[in-house]
Amino acid sequence: MIEKYSFLTADFQKDAPKEMMLLSIISQSFFQPFSLEDNLLVILTALTSGSGVGFNRAMLFLKDGDRLRGEMWLGPSTPEEAGYIWEVLSTPGIGYVEIIEHNRALVSKDENTLSRRMKNLVFTLDEKTCAQFPARAACHREIYLVREASNDPQVDPRFLALVQVDEFLCIPLVAQDEVFGEIVLDNAFTRVPISPGDIKLAGLCGLIASNYIYSTTLHKRLLDAEKMAAMGEMAMFVTHQLRNPLVTIGGFTDQLLLPEGVSDEKRERNLRIIHDEIARLEGIVYQMGHFLKVSMKEPVYFDVAPAIEAVLRSPEVQARGREYSLTVKIEPCLPQVLCDPTSFGEVLRNLLHNAFDATPPGGTVSVRAYRKNSTSFVLSVGDTGKGISNPDKGQLFQPFFTTKEKGMGLGLPFIKRVMDTCGGQIQVRSRVGKGALFKLIFQSREGSQRS
Amino acid sequence: MKKILVVEDEKALCLLYEEELQRAGYAVTAVSDADAALEEIGKGSFDLIITDIRMPGKNGIELITHIMGLRKDIPIIINSAYQSHKEDFMTWAADAYVVKSSSLDELKLKIKELIGE
Repeated sequence: MIEKYSFLTADFQKDAPKEMMLLSIISQSFFQPFSLEDNLLVILTALTSGSGVGFNRAMLFLKDGDRLRGEMWLGPSTPEEAGYIWEVLSTPGIGYVEIIEHNRALVSKDENTLSRRMKNLVFTLDEKTCAQFPARAACHREIYLVREASNDPQVDPRFLALVQVDEFLCIPLVAQDEVFGEIVLDNAFTRVPISPGDIKLAGLCGLIASNYIYSTTLHKRLLDAEKMAAMGEMAMFVTHQLRNPLVTIGGFTDQLLLPEGVSDEKRERNLRIIHDEIARLEGIVYQMGHFLKVSMKEPVYFDVAPAIEAVLRSPEVQARGREYSLTVKIEPCLPQVLCDPTSFGEVLRNLLHNAFDATPPGGTVSVRAYRKNSTSFVLSVGDTGKGISNPDKGQLFQPFFTTKEKGMGLGLPFIKRVMDTCGGQIQVRSRVGKGALFKLIFQSREGSQRS
Repeated sequence: MKKILVVEDEKALCLLYEEELQRAGYAVTAVSDADAALEEIGKGSFDLIITDIRMPGKNGIELITHIMGLRKDIPIIINSAYQSHKEDFMTWAADAYVVKSSSLDELKLKIKELIGE
């Protein structure tokens, strides 16, 4: 017999062991696309919810440069509030999302929240504060349980004045040999002594939290590095694209300014060259702005047949198509296709220009549009041109990759973005010297039955 | 008169180099791709070759490799829009690397250094 189970448990069972509850709450947070702050809140929630480990309050400090800064303090401010919250949290049917919502509201509430009060608590991780708790735990990377705090000179007096408890637990957040912060836990209201079992579980939470912060930070660093690399590539390409027209404009302008003067004929010629190069620069700027625009329009269902015809009838396509044998097969009664109609037109226009560019005059360029099945539609553009080599195939959709002499390498990345936005697919088939076929598969539905 | 071969795929730039280097007192032959350049080198003798890197067909680096196989004695200047290629060791086979600029002064200076006026 085979049974299927879900990763996520729908709600909390009161009688489940603490460890189970804790793992359950925390692991669920990694299923949600929440921010780092939200997920840290989840970990604090796990430490303080009645059904979790059950500390009364949890404080989070994050490392900020060489300082440990108070970030978040979760827990009730008064015993009355504590009683109320624990009652709410242990209500059957209350799930993870509700608890997080509740805690988020608690953390973001104005004025009298604990978080606001602890934001001023900043410890420099130097010798002086590292000799005192709570910062000492982060400095030494060890878990410390502090008892009889009010009589102990090793406890920072500002901290003590704020928390007003005699017993607290310090969990440093350390991952891959790097300190990320510290969690401080106490039982300010119930005054229940912190047990060795609680310390073990809290330590586990600390490990999870620190690894979570570590991987999030790492991920962000990687993304930044990738962005920087992409920007570098783009800068290099743009430099090249802009430099040639600029050199030409500069050079021919200098000729016009020569002290010995130039003939009328040459002046006329130079001005024309300068004029053409400026038009080329404008084209580059237009393409950059157009294809690299940040947001794509929302896809909608629209009648695809007229959109295809409009592109095929456009003067530029007609003009270029004359040099080729252009075959068009459009199935009658095409469905409605999911895409932004303007982007769809641009996609087809781009594919056609690529096909023309790759094919010597006299070759064949073919456009086909047909239903694949009741929910998908295929638009394909094929050519009998030079084809795409295997190494080039891997880079086709990378911005600024081009095999064309004056191409920007922005057409196919644009097509990919359009297809990603409308949940479509792109298939490319090609043999060097034989040609290429680009097949775009869109989501479709039966709509108005215009042919 | 010293003879220079210019290899540049952009028509307008080709024309500009041709006119400006002629004005500076050189005999200039300008071609738009590497194959045409190799043909010219086979036909006549040049004192200097100036080549772009990015061109259709063989690129500038491939052209230099071919020239090295034919004639090792002709000085070569790479003239490219890519600043970053300057650090590329493949370009070291050339005698100079000049980044394209709207002023041809640096290019003219390098030519003068390599072959004189």
